[in-house]
Amino acid sequence: MGVCVVSQIPAVEGKSVQQTVEMITKKLEILGAVKQGTFCVDCETYHAAPIVNNSGQQGKLMYVMHNTEYPASCFALFENGPCLVADTNFDTLMIKLKGFFQNAKSNKIESRGQRYQFSDFLVKVGTVTMGPSARGISVEVEYCPSIVSNDCWNLMMEFMQSFMGSHTPGIPSVFTAKHDGIYTPTDTVIQYMELFNKIRKQQQAPVSGMR
Amino acid sequence: MLRGRPKALNRRVGARAWGRGGVGVREGREVGGRPKARSKRRVLIPALKEAREEARRRDRGMEFQTVGSERLKARPPMIGRVGQETWSRPEPTERRERAAMVKFQPSLWPWDTVRNNLRSTLTEMCVLYDVLNVLKEKKYMTLDPVSQEPPPSKQVLQLCGKKKSLAGAAQILLKGADRLSKSVAENQEHKRQRDFNSELLRLRQHWKLRKVGDKLLGDLSYRSAGSLFPHHGTFEVIKNTDIDPDKKIPDDYCPLDVVIPSDLEGSAYIKVSIQKQAPDIGDLGTVNLLRRPTQKPKPGTAHWQTKLEAAQSVLLCKEIFAQLSREAVQIKSQIPHIVVKNQIISQPFPGLQLSISLCHFVNDKKSQKVSVENQRPDDHLYVLEHNLHQLMREFHKQTLSSSMMPHPATAPFGLKRMRVVGPQAYDKGEISALQHNEGLLEKIIKQAKHIFLRRRTAWTIDSLASRIEDPQIQAHWSNINDVYESSVKVLITSQGYEQICKSIQLQLIIGVEQIKVVHRDGRVITLSHQEQELQDFLLSQMSQHQVHAVQQLAKVMGWHLLSFSSHVGLGPVESIGNASAITVASPNGEYSISVRNGPESGCKVVVQFPRSQCKDLPKSDVMQDSKWNHLRGPFKEVLWSKMEGRNFVYKMELLMAALAPCP
Repeated sequence: MGVCVVSQIPAVEGKSVQQTVEMITKKLEILGAVKQGTFCVDCETYHAAPIVNNSGQQGKLMYVMHNTEYPASCFALFENGPCLVADTNFDTLMIKLKGFFQNAKSNKIESRGQRYQFSDFLVKVGTVTMGPSARGISVEVEYCPSIVSNDCWNLMMEFMQSFMGSHTPGIPSVFTAKHDGIYTPTDTVIQYMELFNKIRKQQQAPVSGMR
Repeated sequence: MLRGRPKALNRRVGARAWGRGGVGVREGREVGGRPKARSKRRVLIPALKEAREEARRRDRGMEFQTVGSERLKARPPMIGRVGQETWSRPEPTERRERAAMVKFQPSLWPWDTVRNNLRSTLTEMCVLYDVLNVLKEKKYMTLDPVSQEPPPSKQVLQLCGKKKSLAGAAQILLKGADRLSKSVAENQEHKRQRDFNSELLRLRQHWKLRKVGDKLLGDLSYRSAGSLFPHHGTFEVIKNTDIDPDKKIPDDYCPLDVVIPSDLEGSAYIKVSIQKQAPDIGDLGTVNLLRRPTQKPKPGTAHWQTKLEAAQSVLLCKEIFAQLSREAVQIKSQIPHIVVKNQIISQPFPGLQLSISLCHFVNDKKSQKVSVENQRPDDHLYVLEHNLHQLMREFHKQTLSSSMMPHPATAPFGLKRMRVVGPQAYDKGEISALQHNEGLLEKIIKQAKHIFLRRRTAWTIDSLASRIEDPQIQAHWSNINDVYESSVKVLITSQGYEQICKSIQLQLIIGVEQIKVVHRDGRVITLSHQEQELQDFLLSQMSQHQVHAVQQLAKVMGWHLLSFSSHVGLGPVESIGNASAITVASPNGEYSISVRNGPESGCKVVVQFPRSQCKDLPKSDVMQDSKWNHLRGPFKEVLWSKMEGRNFVYKMELLMAALAPCP
């Protein structure tokens, strides 16, 4: 487990999402990264029932996420709220809690793709799909040997620049939010959640970069 | 009866009656009263009758007498007819007649004979009394014993009698003894029975027992400890009480005995050894059964305990071997493991074979014979044998703990540590590291590799140290090792200069496949398992040490270091490592010493003299001026082997001392 940066790359002008992904992976392979299977991060959205929401906040959403990097775990989190890490049995628990949390089936979003290893770095380039259509490209870069996020940031940024070019993201908010700077798996999941939310919003408002 | 009766009746009258002679007994019968008057009255009975009646009325005493006589009359008829006739108060007519008869025929009185006899007896008694009195006086007559012949001796009779009585006594004694011995035997029987029960109790404290039908079955398997070995491991408890009470009970007699399955009899052990060269393939499977001396049971432990323990150890050995051979077949390795009969052969390193064999022998002559034939030097790796047992126990514990209750309802089955995998968000790598479970064989091969590597390293260092005297090698082995790692500190020093020549200190970390060398300055060199690599490395270090030593010595002696190179690029190429060189100048700068030391070529010491001291130098046309004499002249090699001194550094010290001017 190391420090992860999750970012989005817009599709190259005039090319489909799939083609852009291929371009990036080709770049990585030329760089010397080794393909190591696939990965998948999925996110399901639950609407909290009015009983839970007695505080009057409308439409608070809970996200239940899985990450193949953590195959035994299930993450449940609110936006800006607490994050729960549980066994995969948590999914069956959610079925039992139907009365309190309703699954918004149509909002299921996931990112699938290849997993590459480049020495100490793990790069996961995935296609974000919502339903049948591809919505965007996610790139996760992990620097395995360290868990102190701020110490690795510059190194990671340099590495990302080598294959992402101008699309290299800025420092993620989770890096700065923490006092001790110790990176945990939940931070990765939060980053993915933010990414997915961004992509959902992009879909609602027409985005030019997607064409 | 008749005779006795009057006596009793006459007791009162006694001698008076006798003394009176002719007076009738009848008179005596009247108790009290006035006898004289009576006798008279008897005659005059008819006449006096009336008067008497009067008197009776008058006199109370008379009346009393009448009452008494009547009482007498009422006596039971013991007295018989005579008495009745005599004492009953007759009718007046009858009385009269009888009175007449008594008067006229006294001899016909029925008590006459009695009286006569009594009289004669009295006479005789009186005579006897007199005689006795006379005798007592001892004046006139004495009694002397008359010597008589003793009666004929009845020895035969006596003997017979004695014999008979003795026989009787003997019979009684024998009967008693018989009864005693019977009771003693019964006691013993009871005791034995009791012993069986107490032994059974002791057995139950250590072993699991259960009753099946009328049999007592025990369990000596390790199943309850987590073993998965399919052998049932059942033993039977039997009573051993029906021994002959007449025979002497052996010392190790125990009323309880156990019957163990025949395949667990005898003793067994796992033998692990490493051999250098692979034996002929034909030899495979004939494992030498080195016979161990049968262990004497510890005093105080029961016979069955040792028996069961032996059987249990056989069972464990069998389980270990079964597990190992299963793994040997399953595990894919570059050089496949060979399982032949009771032997598993694996090749940890090329040219080296690790053999693990199960030696099980039952106590009979055949196996003994075999063992004698195959007697070979003992090449056991006891540590590995012990570790195998330990690993097996660990394996047991693992299987036991994985299914151990209580178990959280939501937690997955399997390793306990896997429960935190989800909530702690372990990633793929960590989970696979958790799940990776090395088999017994893999572990033991790794351990064997490590042990072999350690041994070979030690041997290499020792042989180098014994072969090369200068410089010296010291190896400090750490006492506490991991099963897969141990370390040794190697110091290269020169004798007598340990304090100033401490430059080479190496930490050798011996792993499973390779040796890591950590220098004093932190450089890390990884060597493979080949012993030549380590040897070459140490040799190059030793040659470097000499040059370092010269440097240190120069510092102490006040010489100046001109140049130092641990890897010289000039001169002959060494096959091992590189040569190193140093040049030092004397304090006043006149002389300089240059040393080149190679691991293979050895050391070469040259001394540079000042120009002025060289007489055979050709006169140079260029350097005419005398100041050029201060320039250094040519180098001359020192015949190092002919130098005095016990080692290199000492020689160097002598050389430096010789070249430095005296203050």
